[in-house]
Amino acid sequence: MTNVRPKAEGQSDEDEVPDGGWGWVLVGALFVSTSLVFGLMRSLGIFFVEFVQYFEESAQAISWISSTGLAAQQFFSPLGAALCNAYDARVVVMTGGCLAGLGLILASQATCLVHLYLTMGLISGLGWGLVFTPMVATVMANFTRRRALVLGVGFSSIGLSSFAFNPLFQLLVETYAWRGALLILGALSLNIVPCGALIRPRRRSKAPAKLDSESGSSRAAVLRRVSSYLELSLLLERPYVTYTLAVTLLNVGYFVPYFHLVAHSRQAGFSEYQAAFVMSAAGATDILGRVASGWFSDLGHFRSIHLLTVWTALAGVFIMLLPVSSSAGSYAALMAISLFYGFCSGALTSLVFAVVPMIVGVERVMGALGLLQLIESGAGLLGTPLSGLLKDITGNYMASFVVAGGFLVLGSLTIATLPHYFSCKEPPPPQRRSLDEKDEGLHPELEQMHSSPSDPNHRGVNEVSSNPQECVG
Amino acid sequence: MSASWKQILFQILLLVSCRYINTKTPGPTPPPLVPITSLPTDERSVILEGESHTEKVELLNPVNLALACTWTGNQNKQPNITGFWRKDGDEVENSQVTVQLEGDQYKLKRVFSIVSEESLGSYSCVFGSEEAKIEFVLAAPQIGEVRDKPIVSYVGDSGVIACKMDETKPKPITWNWYKANGTDKEQIFAVAEPPRHVIKNEERKTKLVVYNLTEADGGLYYCGAVYAISTTMSHVELKVISFQEPLKPFIAILIEVIVLVAGILLYERCQSKKDYTAGNGTIEQTNTMTQGENNGPEEGSSVRQRKV
Repeated sequence: MTNVRPKAEGQSDEDEVPDGGWGWVLVGALFVSTSLVFGLMRSLGIFFVEFVQYFEESAQAISWISSTGLAAQQFFSPLGAALCNAYDARVVVMTGGCLAGLGLILASQATCLVHLYLTMGLISGLGWGLVFTPMVATVMANFTRRRALVLGVGFSSIGLSSFAFNPLFQLLVETYAWRGALLILGALSLNIVPCGALIRPRRRSKAPAKLDSESGSSRAAVLRRVSSYLELSLLLERPYVTYTLAVTLLNVGYFVPYFHLVAHSRQAGFSEYQAAFVMSAAGATDILGRVASGWFSDLGHFRSIHLLTVWTALAGVFIMLLPVSSSAGSYAALMAISLFYGFCSGALTSLVFAVVPMIVGVERVMGALGLLQLIESGAGLLGTPLSGLLKDITGNYMASFVVAGGFLVLGSLTIATLPHYFSCKEPPPPQRRSLDEKDEGLHPELEQMHSSPSDPNHRGVNEVSSNPQECVG
Repeated sequence: MSASWKQILFQILLLVSCRYINTKTPGPTPPPLVPITSLPTDERSVILEGESHTEKVELLNPVNLALACTWTGNQNKQPNITGFWRKDGDEVENSQVTVQLEGDQYKLKRVFSIVSEESLGSYSCVFGSEEAKIEFVLAAPQIGEVRDKPIVSYVGDSGVIACKMDETKPKPITWNWYKANGTDKEQIFAVAEPPRHVIKNEERKTKLVVYNLTEADGGLYYCGAVYAISTTMSHVELKVISFQEPLKPFIAILIEVIVLVAGILLYERCQSKKDYTAGNGTIEQTNTMTQGENNGPEEGSSVRQRKV
């Protein structure tokens, strides 16, 4: 099915944007690239045992490698978003894939721990940052009605791939030692490059518009351009700030069960295998939750934002119930609560990003996601040490889990403070306020579309996405 | 004259008293004893109620070990029963005795001198004709975790092999490392210059680091925990591979990536060419297409002017 058809500008974009066609190919690309970013990150634990032995460092020093990688991915997300706005998503993702692969390939030659921080942490993290946000934003731009479902499907790859990668990495390390395994992993990461190549080249860019309107390259002009690429104006808008705050609160508590559930199960008296099985079962329902919630949200019976609140609150409640259920000593209760928790936490992940276009408008999704990732990274770094500290002080995990669940419930309440929260219908998404006169003049068809929306929910978003500033893949 | 009489009297007195002294000497001196090595003594006893039982005994130092077997007997409690000792399947000489039934139990006890590795092994006391058997397995502390997968290292790189003795077991005196040479084991000594093998011993842990690996360095390595009584061994395999090994899958995946990217870009070019020939072929659309094609991964920024 060809989408690159020589039509009038507005027309061709509107045909591309509705769900289907090349969009599904991009979903596949998102699936693969997300698994190679986060699925890989989650399975790096297998290398850590080898690193501890080879470099003779403490486990904590080694675990900083993955923390650096994750932090770099989130920190460079706005950079990826800005580059995508300035140039082309395709180039950015392909470059990111090359960097991610390069980082791992260089890591295979490391002779000291600092090398690993720089290569596996910084370079690969930079690459991952340039890949994740642009891919997500591109896929979201290609879908309107099935946004949550495709995101759910795309993110389900994280869980599935960590199932597949754990034994694979183990095999690689046993056959080739960690150096060879990292080399092969680098090559695997390069598979992100074809995923990026699948993004359709953009036929318009912001750059010419800005160049025309700005007078030369004075400092102020450059700064203004950079800030528009980074979408820094979003930080002044109350809905976005509220949402970012809610997601940040969510992130503080979200990762706690991943880190502490196994230890908590062991402390409650269950065996190693039982504890590990609880974790795996939660992981399985997580995958299920992502896809199911995406599908359900797209049915349209409820507003996505309401569903997100429900899932977040439920996940918070189940996290709080986790220590309660295991303190009773019942394995069945712990398993049941973990399954529910897994489902809810997966369900909320597919909606967290799908809701963003409705708050900021589709054309600013790229920058919005980048900033969101950056701000929520701090929360992730805060949450786990805090829960560890609570455990050290109180002696068991009860306090950590209750606090983590509390943060999630708080996050869901914060979402409720968004404007137009209590209306049953979706409010019209914000239009870009800083449109140049020239741009509007160039697209008379678009203007007509804007003024006569048939379905405020979907069509409005649809038209706004065919705005020239959109980074459509 | 009286002085000499006194002398004679005195001498007679001495003689008599000396004789008395002589007769009061203690009895015959015992014959000189064979020097007994002063080994400590220890005892292990087992009460058996069924038919057989195995008891593990961990020994560190040479000891005189008394093994005591007590059997409650079976249905027909005979007043007398034969009992003998066995070591590693062979009957111990002159160990067969007749055991009396004492208070509903048969007791058999013997002291063994455990001095070296040969003395270790399996000692069994047997009642009757194999009616009841208690086995004592005498051994030095064993190394628990044995790594069954080989350690892989690269030619030119350094390889680390480690052995660990459980925290619950007593610490060895020292550690020795051996390399398998055919069926023999050759002890490894850390040579100062150039440093090829470095042994780092740390009470319960030991590490052998081999620098500048070659293919010949691969094979089975044995670490031995040395105790006064014997040395317990554990083995680890070291596999040395050349860097070409992982390079093969690496290059394979690289080729796959390049093929995919080239395929995708070519497909896109074909599609746009098709549209070009099939489409309305206005100039602006040509510009669109060529610019679209030019926007490959090689170019960086894409500054295009749209003409409507």
